Amino acid sequence: MWQRASAIYLAGFIVYVLAWLMFTPPGDHEVLKYWLAGLGMWLATALFFLALLLHAWIGVRDVILDYVKLPGLRLAALATVFAFLLTCGLWVASILMGLL
Amino acid sequence: MEFRIYRYNPDVDQEPHLQTFEVETDRGMMLRDVLLEIKRRDESFAFRHSCGEGVCGSDGVNVNGRNRLACITPVSDYRKGPVVIRPFPGRPVIRDLVVDMSDFYRQYHAVDPWLKRKDPVPEQESLQTPEERARLDGLWECILCGCCSTSCPSFWWNPDKFLGPQALLSSWRFLADSRDQAEEQRLDDLDGPYKVFRCHTIMNCVDACPKHLNPTQAIGHIRNLMLKKSV
Amino acid sequence: MPSHSRPVFLNLLQIRLPVAGIMSIAHRAAGVLLFLSIPFLAALLSVALSGQAGFLQAQTLLKQPIMQVILFLLLWALSHHFLAGIRYLLIDVHLGVQAPRYRQTAWAVLILSPLLALLLLWGLW
Repeated sequence: MWQRASAIYLAGFIVYVLAWLMFTPPGDHEVLKYWLAGLGMWLATALFFLALLLHAWIGVRDVILDYVKLPGLRLAALATVFAFLLTCGLWVASILMGLL
Repeated sequence: MEFRIYRYNPDVDQEPHLQTFEVETDRGMMLRDVLLEIKRRDESFAFRHSCGEGVCGSDGVNVNGRNRLACITPVSDYRKGPVVIRPFPGRPVIRDLVVDMSDFYRQYHAVDPWLKRKDPVPEQESLQTPEERARLDGLWECILCGCCSTSCPSFWWNPDKFLGPQALLSSWRFLADSRDQAEEQRLDDLDGPYKVFRCHTIMNCVDACPKHLNPTQAIGHIRNLMLKKSV
Repeated sequence: MPSHSRPVFLNLLQIRLPVAGIMSIAHRAAGVLLFLSIPFLAALLSVALSGQAGFLQAQTLLKQPIMQVILFLLLWALSHHFLAGIRYLLIDVHLGVQAPRYRQTAWAVLILSPLLALLLLWGLW
């Protein structure tokens, strides 16, 4: 259910951002920064990455549950993916915080 | 026409292999007729079959990569050979085209495929309106042939934990039946990440079903019901 | 009785995958590819936001031929995962779950994805 909900938000956000990049491409660093730092866009972007990490976690977890049977190996795989996504999340959080 | 048949005799063979037969075919012939001709030539050839008309579900096989019922698959579906006939994918082979369907039956059994009542049994019929009865169409016709579940990759990888399209279709058949009074228990029995949720809507099952049933649609109904109950 | 266990027929090259199945495994493969590319997306964002120099660096990098190829592959993966995802969401609400519609939409996803990717690549650069 969370996979579907996050999918819908991700779809909407991606369409919006791709359209923006296609029709009003940022000419320089200032334009990009100004666009992302605005409160609405900043929150939407933060939400995007949260939804992305959640969606990715559910998806890859399903792949692991399907193919990795050995309990020890499975636990290791799930833990690795979780740590990977968490790290990406913290990195993106620091990038976004740097914009404020 | 040339037919290549999967052969394996545990008493003699180390590995399964394909054996080629040249069989004369005419109009109206079904693959089961070809298999019977091969049996006539080679007594040791083993395959399951019974009704010959697509209702008992015994003679499911994999033909040129797709699961079909041999008795209702016309030879004319294959304009030229070779036609390769193998057993159902993912199932341990007992001999030639005969496979072990135990996991399949176990999963069917696991959904309690019978009507469960709380009220005392009525004097005559358990009444049902035509609309209520219509909800069973596309579900009651399952002949348990196994074409669907043995075409499902999720069932290949987890036949012991994932119920599979057939059992899930059966589960919905009873959940959808107005006369059944065990909805809560049935849904509880479907809990967990494996029983239902290994279904990724791949839809090989819909392609494979010789009775044109739609397990994906049934599973969708189960999911919606589960969601409704959880909110 | 011999001691070796019963053989199983599961040669994926010999089992015919219907079009919906092909679209489905591609959706999964695309998802895994996109998952692996998340850190690169983050890195790109980080560099582009670090200052004008960084922004230009990111822009120049993306215009490299090899990056255009990688970008196309990622856009294809995104397009496929996106369109297949929409198809799945519609099936979730019982739209397009019946024959022959589910096969038609599977074909549509397979064919439209690379086209959408090309369109996006052209439109973005």
